[in-house]
Amino acid sequence: MSEEFRPDILGIFCRWCSYSAADLAGVSRMKMPPTTKVVRVMCSSRADPVFALGALLIGADGVLVAGCAPGDCHYKTGNYQTRRRYALVEKIFDTLGLDNRRLKLVWIPASEGAKVKRVVTAMTESLQEAGPNPTRAEMFI
Amino acid sequence: MAKESSVLIYGTNLAGYRAAYALCKDGHKVILLNRGRYVDEIKYQALAQLPLDFCWICGHMPQRLFKALGCLTDYYNAELLSVEGEAGNFKVKFKKKDQYVNNFACIECDKCVDVCPVEVDGRKAIVVVPEAGWENIYVVDEENCTKCGKCEEVCPTACIKVERPEETVEADVGAIVIACEFEDPTDEDLADFGAGRSPAVVRNADVAGRSLLTNFVKDSVRLPSGKVPATFAVIVTPHFNRPGVEYENYNLSVTAAYRAAKIKELMPEADVAVFLSDYRGFGKGHYRQYLKAREAGVDFVRAESVEVAPAEGVAVVKYKRGGESESREAELVVLVTGQKAPATMEKITAVTGVEPDGRGFCRLREFSSTETEVPGVFCVGECSGVKGNPETVWEGCALLPEVSEYLGEKNFKPAPPPELRNVNGEVPNVGVFICSCHGTFAERMDLDGLREDVAVLAGVGRAEVVEGCCTPPTMKATAERIKASGVNRVVLAVCTPLQKLLKYRKTVMMGGLSPLLLRLVSLREDVVDVHDDPEKMRTKALALIRSAAEAAKRASQEPLETDAFTSRALVVGGGLAGLEAAQGIAAGGFEVALVERNDHLGGNAAGLDEGQRAYLAELVKRLEENERVKVYKSASPRSAEGYAGNYAVKLDTAEGEVVERFGVVILATGAGDYKPEGFLYGDDGRVMTQRELAEKLAAGEEVTGGVVMVQCVGSRTPERPYCSRVCCAQALENALALRERGAEVTVLYRDMVTYGAEEDLYRSAQEAGVQFRRFDEDAYPTVEAGEKGLAVKLADGETLAAEAVVLSVGVVPERENNEALSAAFGLRLDADGFFDSDANAYPFEEAIKRLTKPFELATNGIYAAGLAHSPRPFEGVLLTARDAAGRAMVMLGKKKMPPPNAVFVAGVKDSLCMGCGVCVDVCPYGARVIDARKKVATVRPFLCDSCGTCVAACPNDASFLRDFTGIQSIAALDAVLA
Repeated sequence: MSEEFRPDILGIFCRWCSYSAADLAGVSRMKMPPTTKVVRVMCSSRADPVFALGALLIGADGVLVAGCAPGDCHYKTGNYQTRRRYALVEKIFDTLGLDNRRLKLVWIPASEGAKVKRVVTAMTESLQEAGPNPTRAEMFI
Repeated sequence: MAKESSVLIYGTNLAGYRAAYALCKDGHKVILLNRGRYVDEIKYQALAQLPLDFCWICGHMPQRLFKALGCLTDYYNAELLSVEGEAGNFKVKFKKKDQYVNNFACIECDKCVDVCPVEVDGRKAIVVVPEAGWENIYVVDEENCTKCGKCEEVCPTACIKVERPEETVEADVGAIVIACEFEDPTDEDLADFGAGRSPAVVRNADVAGRSLLTNFVKDSVRLPSGKVPATFAVIVTPHFNRPGVEYENYNLSVTAAYRAAKIKELMPEADVAVFLSDYRGFGKGHYRQYLKAREAGVDFVRAESVEVAPAEGVAVVKYKRGGESESREAELVVLVTGQKAPATMEKITAVTGVEPDGRGFCRLREFSSTETEVPGVFCVGECSGVKGNPETVWEGCALLPEVSEYLGEKNFKPAPPPELRNVNGEVPNVGVFICSCHGTFAERMDLDGLREDVAVLAGVGRAEVVEGCCTPPTMKATAERIKASGVNRVVLAVCTPLQKLLKYRKTVMMGGLSPLLLRLVSLREDVVDVHDDPEKMRTKALALIRSAAEAAKRASQEPLETDAFTSRALVVGGGLAGLEAAQGIAAGGFEVALVERNDHLGGNAAGLDEGQRAYLAELVKRLEENERVKVYKSASPRSAEGYAGNYAVKLDTAEGEVVERFGVVILATGAGDYKPEGFLYGDDGRVMTQRELAEKLAAGEEVTGGVVMVQCVGSRTPERPYCSRVCCAQALENALALRERGAEVTVLYRDMVTYGAEEDLYRSAQEAGVQFRRFDEDAYPTVEAGEKGLAVKLADGETLAAEAVVLSVGVVPERENNEALSAAFGLRLDADGFFDSDANAYPFEEAIKRLTKPFELATNGIYAAGLAHSPRPFEGVLLTARDAAGRAMVMLGKKKMPPPNAVFVAGVKDSLCMGCGVCVDVCPYGARVIDARKKVATVRPFLCDSCGTCVAACPNDASFLRDFTGIQSIAALDAVLA
């Protein structure tokens, strides 16, 4: 795999905490790899697993779902729903033998711009290790 | 002469901001005199009032919004010069000097910093304020600035002016609100604790400031040498400082406990000790925080005196405990400091005539929460005494019912929204407007190339590069271009929607389109400022715009729903809190119904002094005469249907069942006294409660001989882990009265929770010869009846002889009643059975969000006041009641309530809904119900906070979120990766 490989990551960020944090990172001018394209949802619980799986099917190298820290959800319990859902998706990944590195659920509080940078950088690196998403080439629907 | 409607607010403490917010919302214009150089300079003090490392108040105090609305005029570097006239018609004169950099017009391009030729110690003469987390605020360093004017020339928005003359301004206002900030103690004031003499001694506010943006991390306590300390001492300095230097506020004890627990949480192996004289945490959750810290292994040292001797590499804390001198080494000493009287007091007195109290704070009129002895001049926040959050915030709203009588006709009304074009039925035609941020983005990436890429996207009818979208001229220009292009969907590639969302929406609405047809891309935060490679930036920007355009294409215009709002309030409980709240709301011109379960108003008046009784009697009289107030005696609410803004409440009254409609509900049902068990209470007439003693003393009964008081009976116990707050002051007052009659008094206590003015009471009791003895929480004294008198046995075996034993019993909530009301109205109870509130919820993060932006929240419309909320003294009850009344007045002024998120509410496609009710179960706001007739789910838009949980849960895809529909979201996701 070439050093040049830049993974294509879809970010699904909740509007209140994670997107605020991404905003803050931007305001603070924190440099990070240009791999993650963020789509905003009101709450991470709106991040239907179909979104994530669909993105991987059409060739995203990774999906990063981010929500408020547990106990701090703007919608009180939304992120718990997300957590439950994604625990299930992870199991499905294991069962199907898919690479768990491609789907990540993280909590990013609104004040932690630096964490956005950290998470994006780390995910980029781990996906560089994992290489391009083989789904497109190997799956038939 | 007609009364003026505007209000002048002098100073920018938290309560002042909150007052400005409430006044603006209520329809009064506000002049805000900011004594600082820039908008948030002094607001950061809030951190010193909060026991946490998180504040975000700047983000939630939408001062920019007020400015945009036109109800707030702010002046910087301002000083009040003179006040003439009387309440209702003041003529004020003040001086001001505009900001060098107008941060409302600044676009944060950094060009001024680049061209500044001055450089002192690696800093330019124009700099970004480091402590502002929310946005980049530029200030000019006056000392080093050479006024060369280069920054002025290069600024693309002309927001810099290096010459800002001082000007004098005059204004007519109806009332004046003093909201000056508090003074931090200086290093000199804290000399006994080694402040400023060693890097091993820091203030808690510094630690909080350092960890502000990262939450708590080890770095915030790292020593300059790079070492992370292993031993910590947290000292509550006002407990040990010389008298009169600094005063303890509401939050200091709990702040110390919080800090210690945080350190322990992060470094379980660290040795952490908290030094204080007493644990004075009486707010909601404060005692629980103490228990939590202790459980984490924090050592609480209750010392008589503490000194810190800074030494090389380590500080030595010398302290006295139980008369013994001890010492302890700490690598880092964290000082939790108090508040000093405002330095502006002398000036305030000279200008307004408001006199200071004995400690140098503004003196308030008796029984008022905010008004001074000069009619029409008010004082809020830490200017009128030591305060902490939430008291400051309560005062901001409590001002409203008190100030209203001096103000004339409301003089502010937001402008009606612009006319919107109906685009239904048109073929989607997306216009993409790429902001160049006054040309600054073009220097970092190829905007024209991006525009060309965007122009050929499917469905994009127009792509343009615009100058900006956030200052009035650029907003107007962009709106005109939207109109001229004839597009019916808009994508704005701009910057942070967090700060400027409302401006973007306004721009699109000025362009004649519904904000539902708008999609935003954060060009600056997601692309320009965080990446370097222009080519990759262009690719990423294109992907984001493509995605936004796909979503915009599928956007549909739907009417903005509003909900009818019943402008009528229900107050449950006819005690002090209920009466005061009802009176405040009625005085504001709104209808009120007051429900009292007894056959008389006034509640439990036992234990009040003469002045308080007179106040209460007057209140009852005024209320019964007020025709806006409908009083139901011997009545109680049985059940409630509906939601905030629209409640139908069934009342059981003497005349049978009545159903009434209300928009706002205030629960002021009070609380009871704890009925003590043990201590021979009830078996022996010589054992009594503080209240019974007070009644005896008032009746002139003789109490002589030895009296022993036992504190914390039924409070701060495992069953009731909260402080009842009122009993310490009650005990001290009674002890002083007994001493006057010559009785010997011994007070057995765990912690004397005396703060603020009560500290003086404690001191005079000590001086009057009252004996104080501490006992441990697991070693309560016991009482036995002896032959001659009572014998109080202490844990150490000693026995005190007493003629009478007085128990300080706590306040207990009426659990059953509260639970019933909680179920009926949906206002949560806290763990102790009192009504919960936003105001002092734990953790504070959530509280702050709500405190500072409280009016639009879905759960609002129901407030708890007085003892039903938490134990508090007479003045505290009045404060919470007025706060509730103030909040209610802001709400009641509205005839229609827009949904809290204006446009983004959930909806249901009736044809697909099978009425399974999954969405009803998952909705955290109770915003969904099954329509009994149609058997489908329906949404109450006023309660919906647009999270979308229901959408993801719906098995049949019948639920949707406006602007975030599945079709839109999937298309957006596909496009981002295409």
